[in-house]
Amino acid sequence: MDHKHIEMRGVRKSYRFFTLDDLSLSLEPGEVMGFVGPNGAGKSTTLKLAMGFIAPDAGEISVLGHPMPEAQAAAKRDIGYVSAEMRLLPHATLGWHMEFVKSIYPEWDGGYAATLVKRFNLRPEQNARSLSLGEHVKATLLLALARRPRLLVLDEPTTGLDPVARHEVISEFMDVLRDDSRSILFSSHNTVDVERISDRLTFIDRGRIVDSSNKEDFLDRWRRIHVKLPAGTSLPELPNVFGRVNDGQFVTLTTNQYSEGLRALIGPHVREVQRMNLEEIFVANVMYHREVRGS
Amino acid sequence: MYSGINISQTDARPMYLQIMEQIRARIAAGDWPSGKELPSIRALAAALNVSVITIKRAYLDLENEGVIVTRHGKGSFVADVNGLAGELQEERLEEHLTRAVEIGQSLGLSEDDLAARLRRAQRNLGKN
Amino acid sequence: MNIITRKLIVKELYVNRWMVAGGALSGVASILIATLGKTGFNVGALTWLTTIIATGVMLALYGIMNERKENALQFVLSLPLSISEYVRAKMLGLFAGFLIMWSISCAAALLLVFLKASVPDGIAPYVTLLCVFMLANFAVVLCGALHAQSEALNSAVIVVTNMGVSIFMFTVGPMPGIQQHMWAPVPVWNDTFWTVLFCELAVLVIALTLPFVFAARRRDFL
Repeated sequence: MDHKHIEMRGVRKSYRFFTLDDLSLSLEPGEVMGFVGPNGAGKSTTLKLAMGFIAPDAGEISVLGHPMPEAQAAAKRDIGYVSAEMRLLPHATLGWHMEFVKSIYPEWDGGYAATLVKRFNLRPEQNARSLSLGEHVKATLLLALARRPRLLVLDEPTTGLDPVARHEVISEFMDVLRDDSRSILFSSHNTVDVERISDRLTFIDRGRIVDSSNKEDFLDRWRRIHVKLPAGTSLPELPNVFGRVNDGQFVTLTTNQYSEGLRALIGPHVREVQRMNLEEIFVANVMYHREVRGS
Repeated sequence: MYSGINISQTDARPMYLQIMEQIRARIAAGDWPSGKELPSIRALAAALNVSVITIKRAYLDLENEGVIVTRHGKGSFVADVNGLAGELQEERLEEHLTRAVEIGQSLGLSEDDLAARLRRAQRNLGKN
Repeated sequence: MNIITRKLIVKELYVNRWMVAGGALSGVASILIATLGKTGFNVGALTWLTTIIATGVMLALYGIMNERKENALQFVLSLPLSISEYVRAKMLGLFAGFLIMWSISCAAALLLVFLKASVPDGIAPYVTLLCVFMLANFAVVLCGALHAQSEALNSAVIVVTNMGVSIFMFTVGPMPGIQQHMWAPVPVWNDTFWTVLFCELAVLVIALTLPFVFAARRRDFL
């Protein structure tokens, strides 16, 4: 399939107190995209638009080559969707759900499903009503993964999971990527996991995409630069440097376009140049864009 | 399978560098002899629970260093080990020297002071 | 009807199995109570009415609103179906569930009329009209629940249609064509009967088709 797995162009969705605006996003087969943003930024709305649960006010959405939401029935044949707020049908057991999904999807892999039941520590006889949040998440992940869908759309898929469960789940996601024709789009607050397994990162804040790029490039560009300025010296004009914090002679700069050239420009007073992890970048990025937008 | 290779996210070094280092170490030690086929990028990604792009970058950089060879469509293989052990040591020396310079700077030592300290250390080591 | 619609209808019946079974049992039990003398008849008749209406309300409310409230809606929507297929399956599934319970309860009621000597056969037309009325009533509640976006609106639909039962009993009952023959030994299927029946069936059909026109066309389902 040469199609991009997800393609959104100029998508707009308005609600009374919130608008998703000019959203463009694309996911290639074989790719993992980490979708990051503060609460209320529009991550869930974007994922629901991808699934056809809601329709855009403007723009185009195409998933697995199918226009959404019109062709959602065909698209969803090959998409596994899991969201932390999703629940199973209350008066049925997990086993019933497995049989139900199996009867609808011929690609259901019973052996894999059985493995996942053990790995995720679930019990098929258990009634959906009695499942904890974490067990619900694992159950819905199982139902999605066992079908081996081409595309996985996941909204906070590690919510309520203890570290062991999280590790198991992340392992299953990475197993999916052994096949370069499958892809994953997932939103998560867990920046450690996002940083680890994403190929691309997309940042969203207040309904707009503020950044989208290759993860390694991203991590390469951001730095904290610690400078010690002796009395009487000052820093030259520095491009792409923001977040300046002064503490006496000690100045901390944040940049999103680091290069050796920039370091040279700052001069001899650089004490240390630190890489930033995704969580730190996330916070700095959001704050920077809010400042730029004057909000 | 490759549970020996461990990527720490709390390590200051980026993931791709850690992977490169661990691969180089295995090659230098002889555990991965020259000509041995490396795991496919996706297989290693899945085994380590690390993004494909990180493995791709590690393999690319290792190839640029001449440590591995990638044959299009066939996979990646360990290159000739000649001089690799030496290369590894060279790298370690560079790292240590850079660190010494950094610490020297923070202590306010001049270049000459630092050089003097180095000579003193060499003499001390020579005595033992 | 495609495979996924069929599976969803079966799922609807499965998920609501206790309500349907319970409703049918209560209906039959009420009829049995109605066989016990005059008081029994009054009590039984009342319980029979209440049971059918209450099960209908619960099926509609619970079947639709709860799936939404319990967030199971996303699970169903993530299946390979379109929104119109979802609405269709929901409607048919819930209607089928009600139909099962309703057929059993109404059959029991008609059996009582024809088999028990103390209950005049003349009341059969009235009972038939009452039964079809409740079926149409359920269709209206279902239609309302499928369209209502809020619980408040939903509750309003239920209150209004419940009032409908009382209105039915006070308007259709006293109708000359019906009243005259209620206590007769033989049932009379006259014009009044057919007219009322026709109206009820019309309401039923409209209520069942409306969701296909409106709810199924919704573009935002969450």
